[in-house]
Amino acid sequence: MTWLIVAKKDFRDAVQSRALWALVVGFVLLSLLSTYAYVEVPEMFGEPGGATFTGLLFFTVGLTGLFVPLAAIVVCYKSLAGERELGSIKLLLSLPTNRGSVFAGKVAGRAAVLAFGLGVGIAVGLLVGTVLLGEVDAVGALVFLLVTLVFGAVYATIVVGLSATTGSTSRATTLALGFFVVFELFWDTIPMGFLYVAEGFSMPSTFPDWFYFLTQLSPSSAYLSTVVALVPELGDAAVGDASGAGAGVEVSQTGVDPFYLSPEMGIVVLAAWFVVPFVVGYYRFDAADL
Amino acid sequence: MAAIEIDGLTKRFGEVVAVDGLDLTVEDGEIFGFLGPNGAGKSTTIDILLDFIRPTEGSVTVLGHDAQSEGEAVRRRTGVLPDAYHVYDRLTGRQHVEFAIEMKDVAEDPMALLDRVGIADSAHRKAGGYSKGMRQRLVLAMALVGDPDLLVLDEPSTGLDPNGAREMRDIIRQENDRGTTVFFSSHVMEQVEAVCDRVAIIDRGQLVAVDTIDGLRDATETGEILYVYVTDLDDGTVDSVSRLDGVGSASVHDGRLRVSVDGVSKFAVLHAIDESVVPVQDFSVVESSLEDLFVRYTAEEREGTA
Repeated sequence: MTWLIVAKKDFRDAVQSRALWALVVGFVLLSLLSTYAYVEVPEMFGEPGGATFTGLLFFTVGLTGLFVPLAAIVVCYKSLAGERELGSIKLLLSLPTNRGSVFAGKVAGRAAVLAFGLGVGIAVGLLVGTVLLGEVDAVGALVFLLVTLVFGAVYATIVVGLSATTGSTSRATTLALGFFVVFELFWDTIPMGFLYVAEGFSMPSTFPDWFYFLTQLSPSSAYLSTVVALVPELGDAAVGDASGAGAGVEVSQTGVDPFYLSPEMGIVVLAAWFVVPFVVGYYRFDAADL
Repeated sequence: MAAIEIDGLTKRFGEVVAVDGLDLTVEDGEIFGFLGPNGAGKSTTIDILLDFIRPTEGSVTVLGHDAQSEGEAVRRRTGVLPDAYHVYDRLTGRQHVEFAIEMKDVAEDPMALLDRVGIADSAHRKAGGYSKGMRQRLVLAMALVGDPDLLVLDEPSTGLDPNGAREMRDIIRQENDRGTTVFFSSHVMEQVEAVCDRVAIIDRGQLVAVDTIDGLRDATETGEILYVYVTDLDDGTVDSVSRLDGVGSASVHDGRLRVSVDGVSKFAVLHAIDESVVPVQDFSVVESSLEDLFVRYTAEEREGTA
């Protein structure tokens, strides 16, 4: 159980960093601001019918889908590469533990740090939203919070996994930012490129199903799908909201779409985003000369 | 049982051979000095003992466990002061030791350990503000947690003042008295000479010598070293002196003539220098120290292959 001790130490170490507190404060302010903006001028956010708590949740999902990856990069990119670059990893691995436990402990510790920041920010935002709106969907809010914490843990695994593949923090930064750019910023256009090539270097007039499947493979799309799958009211909001903040989430009500386009698929994709980086990161870290 | 058994160990980093076919056995209960100039392969060898890096060839057994496949079992009974480590800047000294206690799953008083290494006063300060010497003491305290059977110390006196180095030696002796095997590396002969039972000298990844301190002395220079101050010192002087009867070798050292005397009396050599080479102003006699020995072992080989 040394991974738990490593995680505890890592958390204790991280909560004393100013960067973390700047992140928490930043997220709380962002959460407050966006909640306030949504409640005051819902029309701006595609809610002509006025603000609802479900609408607020849906709006917040779009926000956390972007914030969590960035926060995970800030919190995790140095987790292992930094310890290797400095040499504190030698202090850690001089103790009776193994690299698997150190890796798992780092993932758990950083996930806990993220969960702390996200939990506080979301709780504050939704509480204020509840007060301003005078209504609440407690179950929906709780499920949303839990899925977001899981998403944070998944992203912590991705970034710690990337950090585990190198002993240089500048390389770790490049890898993490590169991942973000490819899988979050430009992921909508990359399947487009696949499609273009697959169709013999021309754009078809109708998009095939696998195209939509590809677009949902990014971690944040999987997160949005998962929230929609677990909070059905949000699915309805997403369908009613053509210009919505949750673009990329395709929710079918006709039932003719293949199974891999159902929002439940998001849960599978999200799980894969946990397992693959964990396994790859662990093997690369375990094989490395420190 | 041997505490450490290194067998045909080779480590290559790309083209560079850091350790080259090293065989070495450290017996249970001894204080073993691992000596060599910087870059000789000491830290690489120790890093392999601790499974920080993986050998290219060969095997290492520590306390009966394979260092690579059973590293956790090795480190459960080993206290380590690694080289080129870094402390956790934001954690206090006490938190560091508490962490080691938790990881080793033992019940010990962190303050007693910090007191033993002499930094109890700073226990509640963040380790990021410690001096190099204090960090070295802190990591030593972490190494001592759990009364290990083996202490592996990589350049333990780095950053310590002479007092600190002496205290380090005292702790090494105390631990050894309690039955702990101590394996430590150094590039400073003096450190090793004062405390070690046996010494291995490595250079450029290869074992050059392994023996007791006395054994090493016997095996090399039996005579003494004369340091002679002369009026006129140049290559010609050195050359002439080295050809005199009873002179083992001659060289220039800190503006003095360094002469090793073999087989004849020192006086005869001094007289010969004064008579037939150059007037002697003053001289001093030094029993051949291990420092000389160390320099000879590592420098001569270099000349031999150059």
